[in-house]
Amino acid sequence: MNFLNIALKEIKRDIRDRWTLIFMLVFPILLILILGVALSNSFSSTPELGEIRVLVQDKTGGGPLTQSFDAFAKAVEESGVKFESWSEGMDGRKEVEQHRYDDYVELTESGISLYGSSRSAIESSIVQGMLAAFTDKYKAGSVLAQAGKDTAVMQAEGTGEGKEANYIKETSIVADRKPGAVDYYALAMTCMVALWGAWSASRLITSEVRQGTSMRLVAAPVSKGSIFAGKILGSIGSNMLCVFLIIIISKFLFKAYWGDHLLAVVAVLFTEVILAVSLGLAVGYLFNGTASRNVLMIITQLAAFFGGAYFPMSVDGDLGVVGWIAGLSPIRWGNVALTKIVYSGETAAMWPVIGLNIGLAVLMLMASAVLMRRKEGI
Amino acid sequence: MNVLDIRGLSKKFGDFIAVDNMSLTVGEGEIFGFLGSNGAGKSTTINLVASLLRPSSGEINILDKNIAKHSRFAKMNLGIVPQDLAIYEDMTAFENVKFFAGLYGLRGEELKERTEEALKFVGLEDKAKSFPKNFSGGMKRRLNIACAIAHRPKLIIMDEPTVGIDPQSRIYILASVRKLNEMGCTIIYTSHYMEEVEEICSRIAIIDHGKIIADGTKEQLIATITDLKDIRIELKRGEPDLALSLKNIPGVRDVSVEDNMLRISSDMAVDNLSQILKVLIDSGADIRSVEEQEPNLETVFLTLTGRNLRD
Repeated sequence: MNFLNIALKEIKRDIRDRWTLIFMLVFPILLILILGVALSNSFSSTPELGEIRVLVQDKTGGGPLTQSFDAFAKAVEESGVKFESWSEGMDGRKEVEQHRYDDYVELTESGISLYGSSRSAIESSIVQGMLAAFTDKYKAGSVLAQAGKDTAVMQAEGTGEGKEANYIKETSIVADRKPGAVDYYALAMTCMVALWGAWSASRLITSEVRQGTSMRLVAAPVSKGSIFAGKILGSIGSNMLCVFLIIIISKFLFKAYWGDHLLAVVAVLFTEVILAVSLGLAVGYLFNGTASRNVLMIITQLAAFFGGAYFPMSVDGDLGVVGWIAGLSPIRWGNVALTKIVYSGETAAMWPVIGLNIGLAVLMLMASAVLMRRKEGI
Repeated sequence: MNVLDIRGLSKKFGDFIAVDNMSLTVGEGEIFGFLGSNGAGKSTTINLVASLLRPSSGEINILDKNIAKHSRFAKMNLGIVPQDLAIYEDMTAFENVKFFAGLYGLRGEELKERTEEALKFVGLEDKAKSFPKNFSGGMKRRLNIACAIAHRPKLIIMDEPTVGIDPQSRIYILASVRKLNEMGCTIIYTSHYMEEVEEICSRIAIIDHGKIIADGTKEQLIATITDLKDIRIELKRGEPDLALSLKNIPGVRDVSVEDNMLRISSDMAVDNLSQILKVLIDSGADIRSVEEQEPNLETVFLTLTGRNLRD
């Protein structure tokens, strides 16, 4: 049970280390607060919309659809959607493409076509929803008035996507819950702190050598394996403690959202910490003194930068080489998994990340163990 | 029974031979002085006994058991007081001793009692809850000792335990060494302070270039280099004629006069100082001072190694 003795000693010393507390707790909490407040507008889920301008070309020659549409246009004008009539010589699609109008609507005998722009996606969605409601009412009225006659069919077409759909499918443009700035940075910073565990881990053995205590440890009836296991366990324990504290502080003080699957969240972060400690230990064995510190500094800072710890990076966008590099960051893959778990309830997203983290950790621990066995002392 | 038995021990670092076919025994109840200048192989030998290094060849037995085969037994009976402080500055004195004693399987009340006992032994019982970062150099050295003795080892290796401390702490530590020895511990003691080794060690070995070049009691070691003592007598004025009458005194081997200083080389075994003084007084010499110098360990070390201990 000596490894537990060693692990408890590690945790005790880490807790007492003022710089560990500042680096692993105060600094990330301040970053969550500062970045969360400073970038809150970038994460707003309630965008301000001005007047929505829609160009309408009526090709029906005036009929029941025209009359109904005019009444509809008048009614929705109060909601900030202005339908303006097409004039001779205008090209409706170009008008939208050149952003003079948000949308272009064509009324024909066969139905209503809507052309929107991906740059005005929210506006287009609103108009689309309104037209869907209008069409439903109009279809119902037509069925009642002219039984047996073909009903109008709606078409919707988005110029930005270039896709066609036969039916308007109403989908929510805002997910049930989207992360605000504080929510985002709570996740990202916690992932980053988990990776920062590599720093203290790189000094696990060298600090004993520097203090001369390695001699006592080796001279005591404790196997190298127990020393190794105790130190790793202690490092994981103290780093997890920091992670827990950041979760608690961000959740209860900053009201950051951590979802309904905290166990899955903790599981992902736990394996991130294991990966970080293994990385630190391996780098500590491979490189001596300042070299290991420099290597870890580069690794963790790049991982934080590309992993989206300081500013969000698109998950779905095609980022090319940057995207490929970002994909190598443990913060990135941890962050993506946590976002899915927290905001979509996809607990299954934890498994690939846990597998990857544990797999890499095992490789690095094995390398460290081999290097330790070869060395005299520890 | 030999507490430590080293046979044909060698340790190589590449082409460099740090310990060269060394054989050494330390008997139960001894305070064994281990002298060597920097780089002589002293620390390497200690590190080999403490299992910090693996020998290139040879064997080490503690209490008649080979440390390679009976590692746990050997370690349980060994206490190390390293030259460099081996304590955690951010753990209290009590926590330090308790942690290291805990590694030897002590638990619960017994662990607490042994920890308190060790702190009391080194006079730090009232500093149990203090952090070593606030300790003086001497107090840290005493804590360093406490961490090595709480598990009551049979053999304690003390590597320069009095380096850089005040005279009061040095006296305290030397008294502690004697007390530990009286309690039944065998002690291997290394120091750069020759007078400390002369004062407390019952047997001394001198190591040079990884080999034991002399081993024995202080008297035996001195006897290996010389059987002469040096008597220096300062006179008011030089009296060259006295040399002949002094040479007739039993034991006197040589007499030389330089200015007003008379230098007499005499057999160490012959007590002839009063006779020498009588001859001088009878001849009317005006004596200013008398100094009798016997060779000491420093002389032995210098003669055998060609270097001072602190080189």
